[in-house]
Amino acid sequence: MSQVGWFTTARRTSKLQIYIYICGATLYRLRQLRAMFPRKRTNLIVAALSLCIVFTSLGPVALAQKKTAPVEATPPPVREEFKFGDVDLEVLEQADLLDVRFERDGLVLADESTNAYLRRIGQSLIPRGLELEKVNWKFRALRDPQPNAFALPNGSIYVTTGLMTLIDNESQLAAILAHELTHVMRRHTYVHNRSNRKKFLTMNVMAAVGAYAPGGVVGAVITIATTVAPFIMIATIYGYSRDLEREADLKGIDMMISAEYSPEEMVNVMKLLDKDIEGENIRLFYNDHPSLDERIKYLSSYLGARADRVTHQMELNRERAAYFRNVEPVMRHDLQLAINAGRARSAVYLAQRLVDFHDDSENLFWLAESYRTLGPRAPQLTEKQLTNSAKKDASKKREKRTVEEEERELLATPEGKDNWQRHQQKAEELYRRALNAENPVPVAHRGLGMLYEKLERGSDAAAEYEKYLELSPSASDRQRIQRRIEALKEKLK
Amino acid sequence: MSARTMFVLVVLLTVSGSVQAQFLHPKIKSKETTIRRVIVLPAKVNVVRDSMKGPEGMAAESDELSTRVEAMVAEVLSKQKQVATLPATAPSADGDPQQKYNVADFQTKFDDLLPKIMKKRSDVKKGRFSMGDEVLNLNLDKGADAVVFIRGEGKKLTSGKTAFRMLVGGQPAYLRLMIGIVDARNGEVLLYTDPIFPGDPTTAVDRLRKALEKGFKKLPEVKG
Repeated sequence: MSQVGWFTTARRTSKLQIYIYICGATLYRLRQLRAMFPRKRTNLIVAALSLCIVFTSLGPVALAQKKTAPVEATPPPVREEFKFGDVDLEVLEQADLLDVRFERDGLVLADESTNAYLRRIGQSLIPRGLELEKVNWKFRALRDPQPNAFALPNGSIYVTTGLMTLIDNESQLAAILAHELTHVMRRHTYVHNRSNRKKFLTMNVMAAVGAYAPGGVVGAVITIATTVAPFIMIATIYGYSRDLEREADLKGIDMMISAEYSPEEMVNVMKLLDKDIEGENIRLFYNDHPSLDERIKYLSSYLGARADRVTHQMELNRERAAYFRNVEPVMRHDLQLAINAGRARSAVYLAQRLVDFHDDSENLFWLAESYRTLGPRAPQLTEKQLTNSAKKDASKKREKRTVEEEERELLATPEGKDNWQRHQQKAEELYRRALNAENPVPVAHRGLGMLYEKLERGSDAAAEYEKYLELSPSASDRQRIQRRIEALKEKLK
Repeated sequence: MSARTMFVLVVLLTVSGSVQAQFLHPKIKSKETTIRRVIVLPAKVNVVRDSMKGPEGMAAESDELSTRVEAMVAEVLSKQKQVATLPATAPSADGDPQQKYNVADFQTKFDDLLPKIMKKRSDVKKGRFSMGDEVLNLNLDKGADAVVFIRGEGKKLTSGKTAFRMLVGGQPAYLRLMIGIVDARNGEVLLYTDPIFPGDPTTAVDRLRKALEKGFKKLPEVKG
């Protein structure tokens, strides 16, 4: 699965594909002409068509030159001359519908303090006194363990809980928001839509969703976006054109400096996103989106002297602890989502960061849960597993096998058995630590119960479950645990 | 959708009016488990309008169709199989967000499992698929035997695209439903059916009913 959105690679009909198509069609036509006309005349036609091929070849060369052109100052933040047409109003309507759907389907995190935190950072980046027609700024966290962010043209900016959990400080969050704000201010969705409508759009959106949708909550986001606004899904979530993304990156840096956020954090956040913990960033040969490496290069070049001026406020905004304090509840929520989506490696990595920051009972519990879910899997993918072909194979396997089947397969190998034993021990130790910490969370008993049940220690499991229900009589999963206790007792008879 | 699936779909659509496949868990076949009362979770049926300029979203129509399909599934189950439908405790926006998340996450879990079921539908007969006992976290009515998940995808063609299709070929307008019935106590997938029919998915009400009736044909009727 290719990652989508803020830092992603998009799958679209690229200039390279069009070029290949033109060459293919020309060669096919040549063969037909050779059969139709005498040799001399054909040679003339061949010469003329060859010239055409040479000229069409110049296009990609020119594009390549454009890519390496030196970085210049970006245009003003707002596309002031923008006039709304019927086509744009349609896109706007679809964006409003998307907001409603995300909310209705339980994808928006209903945590006012998190959304207020995002709003505060977002508002600080918007140039003072800026009023944009048909834009109502909204900043919200989306319940999705996959790191991503996107902006709708109506001013709704979404950052996934997965991205908020992965980054290190407020400046990095500001970098993401500044990038997305630029897409809205420069009316990129409308511009991209107008340009696309002029072309013959051959892409089958449903097929694209099939190719990209990874399942999990992110799958839900993409499914909704496809239904409500296929175009917005392609542009906003999969990424705009190379030029528009570049503009958003560079303009974002200017906005960060104005709001006293250290601009080099834009580069740092790109580096963070380059980490492929789950082995799911598959690069396709015809990607038409700047790669993370390329973005890091041009951003570093643009930063130059801009990164020299460091204010006290900039230093404060880079503090990791302050950021973690603000988003700790989001991080915990995201861990649950990551575990549900089977992203156990990410869960372990993120939970460990959380424990390193604050080793209270709840954070220890989440780390224990992550290790329990990791089971027979290795905590990190090997270099071989991170090659493109290995990632493609793994993606195909994920489509076919259930989680239980994957675990069974791994447990049949000596490495899998070894991993399983180590991770279960680690999980038990962490649950115990969580229960011995100050203000212990009762759910740690539930976790231990599940662990013992898997280890076939029936009576221990039942005892832990009972403790959990005793300490949390109104737990929302009471029915489930009660049934487990009954089943275990039945088995023990 | 892969080229192979598309080919099969086109062939099936041209050969017959509507087609369906049904797969029952052995527990249903052996009558070890009987489905008497179900809870139908909100359906997610998505249709797009395919025009010459590419596909366009049909959000309002998709919502309307989702509601219609949901109601019709309940009606068919009740009339044809005497299976009662219990009300799903609809989580409101101002209600408990945790309950709303639980439903959303469980729907997502089904979305995750669905491609695996679709890859090898006949494995439902082997009892291979389960959503786990997390189903109990939904805190649904205790009298419910099963939970019904409905997904669907469809395509409506514009007149331009219809004419283009007649000349050049391509996928016709269609609606395909993917329905899973899951045990409300242990999450096992008890039934999977995927009725499909050609035609405008937003208007073909009778075809939809017929497709659903055929889709649940193998489900044993509740007696007594």
